[in-house]
Amino acid sequence: MKTYLVERLGIGAVTLLGMSIVIFALLRFAPGDIVDILFSTGGYVRPEERIAIMKELGIDKPYTAQYLEWMGQLLRGDLGKSYNYGSPAWDVIRPKIPVTLELAVLATIVAVLLGVPTGVVSAVRQDTTLDYVLRVLSLAGLSMPSFWLGMVIILGMVTWLGWIPSITYVSPTENFRMHVLQFALPALAVGYRSSALITRITRSALLEVLREDYIRTAWAKGQTERAVVWSHALKNAMLPVITVIGIEFAFLIGGLIVTERVFNLPGVANYLVEAILARDYPIVQNLVMFIAIVVILSNLAVDLLYGFLDPRVRYGG
Amino acid sequence: MRRFRIGAVLAVLTMVALLALPAAPAAAQTPKSGGSLNIMLREDLAQGFAIHETSTISTVWPAMPCLSNLVIFDPAKQTESTETIIGELAEKWSWQDNFRNLVFFLRKDVKWHDGKPFTSKDVKATFDMLREAPDAPAKLRINPRKDWYANVEAVEAAEPHTVVFRLKRPQPSLLLMLASGYTPVYAAHVNPAVYRTGCVGTGPFKVKEWRKGEFVDYVKNPDYFVKGRPYLDSLRYVVIKERGTRMAALQSGQLDVSFPGEVTKTAAEQLKKAVPQLVVTPVGQMVNDNIILNTKKPPFDNPKIRLAVSYAINRRALIQAVHQGGAVEGAAMAPKPYGVWGVLGKDLAALPGYGKPEDMKARARKLLAEVGVTPQNPLRVEMSTRAIAIYVDMASFVINELKQVGIEASLKQIETAQWHATATRGEYQIGANLTGLGVDDPDGNFYENYACGSPRNYSQYCSEALMKMVDRQSQELDPKKRLEQVAAVQKKIEEDASRPMLDWRVDYFTYWPYVHGLVPHHNIYNFGRMQDVWRDK
Amino acid sequence: MAAEPASATAHTIAAAPLSKQPGAWTLLGRFCRKKPLGAAGGVVTVLIVLTAVFANQLQTYDPIATEAAQTLAPPGGEHWLGTDHLGRDIYSRIVHGARVSLIVGVASTLLGSVLGGIIGLLSGYAGGKTDLITQRVMDILQGLPLLVLALVVSAALGPSIQNVILAISVPIIPRAARVIRSSVLSIREMQYVEAARALGLKHARIAFRHILPNTVGPFIVLCTAQLGSAILVEAALSFLGLGVPEPYPSWGRMLSVSAAEYAQKAPHLVIFPGLAISLAVFGSNLLGDALRDTLDPRLRGA
Repeated sequence: MKTYLVERLGIGAVTLLGMSIVIFALLRFAPGDIVDILFSTGGYVRPEERIAIMKELGIDKPYTAQYLEWMGQLLRGDLGKSYNYGSPAWDVIRPKIPVTLELAVLATIVAVLLGVPTGVVSAVRQDTTLDYVLRVLSLAGLSMPSFWLGMVIILGMVTWLGWIPSITYVSPTENFRMHVLQFALPALAVGYRSSALITRITRSALLEVLREDYIRTAWAKGQTERAVVWSHALKNAMLPVITVIGIEFAFLIGGLIVTERVFNLPGVANYLVEAILARDYPIVQNLVMFIAIVVILSNLAVDLLYGFLDPRVRYGG
Repeated sequence: MRRFRIGAVLAVLTMVALLALPAAPAAAQTPKSGGSLNIMLREDLAQGFAIHETSTISTVWPAMPCLSNLVIFDPAKQTESTETIIGELAEKWSWQDNFRNLVFFLRKDVKWHDGKPFTSKDVKATFDMLREAPDAPAKLRINPRKDWYANVEAVEAAEPHTVVFRLKRPQPSLLLMLASGYTPVYAAHVNPAVYRTGCVGTGPFKVKEWRKGEFVDYVKNPDYFVKGRPYLDSLRYVVIKERGTRMAALQSGQLDVSFPGEVTKTAAEQLKKAVPQLVVTPVGQMVNDNIILNTKKPPFDNPKIRLAVSYAINRRALIQAVHQGGAVEGAAMAPKPYGVWGVLGKDLAALPGYGKPEDMKARARKLLAEVGVTPQNPLRVEMSTRAIAIYVDMASFVINELKQVGIEASLKQIETAQWHATATRGEYQIGANLTGLGVDDPDGNFYENYACGSPRNYSQYCSEALMKMVDRQSQELDPKKRLEQVAAVQKKIEEDASRPMLDWRVDYFTYWPYVHGLVPHHNIYNFGRMQDVWRDK
Repeated sequence: MAAEPASATAHTIAAAPLSKQPGAWTLLGRFCRKKPLGAAGGVVTVLIVLTAVFANQLQTYDPIATEAAQTLAPPGGEHWLGTDHLGRDIYSRIVHGARVSLIVGVASTLLGSVLGGIIGLLSGYAGGKTDLITQRVMDILQGLPLLVLALVVSAALGPSIQNVILAISVPIIPRAARVIRSSVLSIREMQYVEAARALGLKHARIAFRHILPNTVGPFIVLCTAQLGSAILVEAALSFLGLGVPEPYPSWGRMLSVSAAEYAQKAPHLVIFPGLAISLAVFGSNLLGDALRDTLDPRLRGA
């Protein structure tokens, strides 16, 4: 088990290293840099000033030197300074992380609460009208652009209720009720999408398990449907479902980016887009690495959980 | 019987009197102190509160409450001119030696937000820095308005509360440039880089917190040099990046005040329909849309082709299509009533592109035919624009217009990060551009945008004749003569067609009725001080 | 029933089909009956493809022509689905938007899937160190959510239709590689491949003549699955301002700034493009699901 863990972490580290190079290179490819952005807020360009600013920000050095500097900082836990704000990148990112994290967790909870029961019902009532309706609904969730769903929700709220949740971020300590209202809608929008996948996996996993021999034995023994489904089938179907939940959590960020933008939530996903447009490399690089780490760790956690739950799977010695 | 009748008449009279009382003037309300306002921001502050290092309303609007100018345009007057200038840090001022020296007598009771006293040293440090004097104590990283001070020979601060600007030649316009929201006074004892993250000013409000990407919180400055101001206890400028969300917030009351230049005519109609009590004030923004033509590269190095472009574009239709009527026609200076120098009426109709559309297009085709461009042999060009909806809309419309006279333009979108660099390097043929003017003044406008070698003269247009005319009007002391000379300059600019003007934008500035004392100006950059604003709910 | 001559050459054995294939129409009919949802999805997809192909014939107005007098007209009347804030006909823009969405979606999916497929094929067949290294590289590309990677690549390359196609295809490559590779791994061990190798056939021949045809099933499934994602990512990129630039009408971009601004006065600006996107993705997803169930039962529910 330990060797497996070490091996996985090692592979993860190598992957991260590769990713850092890819991100660093891609960003340097981008036309225009922070100096161009500064000039565009100034409304003009002057070559002499450009040289001075590049020196001040440390971007006049060759790329390899900049990359090594970044890596060195990262290993020391220093996230560098934001090009745009001049303040430490961590100070800029830190207040945004809890927002995104909370939204991700809430969305996952919504997804599970919506997806699992729907999948179970769909599997148990396979090929009935109900099954078809549920499958269509869940597929619709996967097909809608999440930002569109958000826009439609806001439009609906304003038109029919004449009300929208707070536009500015309200922390739970400030006003719990408003905070809940503020997060409920975006969590629903993102969660609905994730629930679609969970519904599908739950359904198919349950279907597979229901075909297994030991289930048929239970049927033959005369146990009720409920007992069969809940005590036997579901437990074993849970494995792939948990896998998907874990993977979905990490990949939520795509939907979070646009949803945070539409609902004006000050999270890291929203800010990532801003930072990319503003060519604020220290922020973009570190945020992307952060996302990559979250993805790798969730994959690892899921695999470990898998191993823990399924006695048939054991790693190493 | 009689007693009863007299009593009845008295009763009626009393009732009438009581009913008539509320009709007494409600206009003169007494300002109330206290309360807070949520004010709209369309994006986070670019470069924080460093007004001197940016040229964007996104910095000026939220940073103005923290800082003070020497002089400023009266917040209560919508149209700005020399007559509406009042003092802020300066109590009195006077021109001497035929507009060659400008003397300011400064207030003696002003303190910086960190407690230190304000003196003439601060003024000298600020303006030496701005004009990049060799002995300036500090240097700005980016200095967009250096050219405003090209004519300043020296800034003298011999006494602690007197400052003298010595000019190389007479320039009445200098006073107006000092009154713009773009010209606050920095503290001499603070490094200008500090303003990028915080603000040490003398203004009515102090910065409490700037949460990046979310909001700026201000609290009342208890030591403000205008007693009894500001009325409000605090301000919050809220960042909302999505346009639809911004409007929804304003409509639902989560925002009390809109952002200058943000509310279009259609949006205003929508808002008014949903919330009839909202106060909507149409004002000129002092921002214009124009077409930049690269005069150094073919085909637009040919003045005939440039003129044809100007003739081809139906300004009125563009205003309707792109702005839904929320803009006005005008030449290089803002038209009345938004500005005082603009060319109007018959004079405007005489300029290319402002007559009858079919005639104009016919003239464009004729001009093009003279250089061999016909519908069978169209001129192919590439139109560049910033990758932002409003510019793209404008460009799309213009492309359509040009198509009708034989110019086939393809659209190239350039990301914001590269726009200015691309335009300055002349890596374009024709472009859709937007220009904001910090002050309605010919000097500010002409030197920045049409002078040879100016970084913002994207067309790289250089006309000795024009510069002579501009220099002449800059020194003209007779207002009537100057008006005529400025009109002549505008006419020449449109005839040379290096930068055909499309329209001047109108803002439908909106706020809730409980907001008082906020008078939007015909210039988005100059009314953000917030010291006279109060609320009564 | 094929009679096998006693002295069959390696060539004949290697080339002999394992069974007689039923006709294409029979297959189609069987498919429609067994998987009505999939058939419906197929119909929707075909309709959208036809819309894209015949956009010029189907349009009622020039999609980029502005009409100042007709801004924000409601649906009905001359403009079937209304007009936008510049007076452009929304129906025509949606019809042309199908072209853009499909071109971008199909091109990026094909590009990514083919590249990824080749990488997966070679990596899976070669095995050993090559496989290991290739897998790690694929991990790197896959370690980021689709939109994030596409966002960065799109910002790096700048706004143009080719760059958007490139940007969306990049995240697809590792996913395609993984699917094809696992398919290859399972086929590689099969008996007839071993037989072919025993008979001394060259690797390339084995790879391309035997293994490749059997990955077609998973490949088709992969493509239809990714097509939906590709369309959604293109919409998101356009919404954020980094996608397909003007003048190509893009469903995603129709939903960005202007739609949000005028949403209340003219909700049709928001509703129709979004419906179009959802329908396109829905159709291709339904089709993809059904195809997957039919062609590769092993992957059911994956």
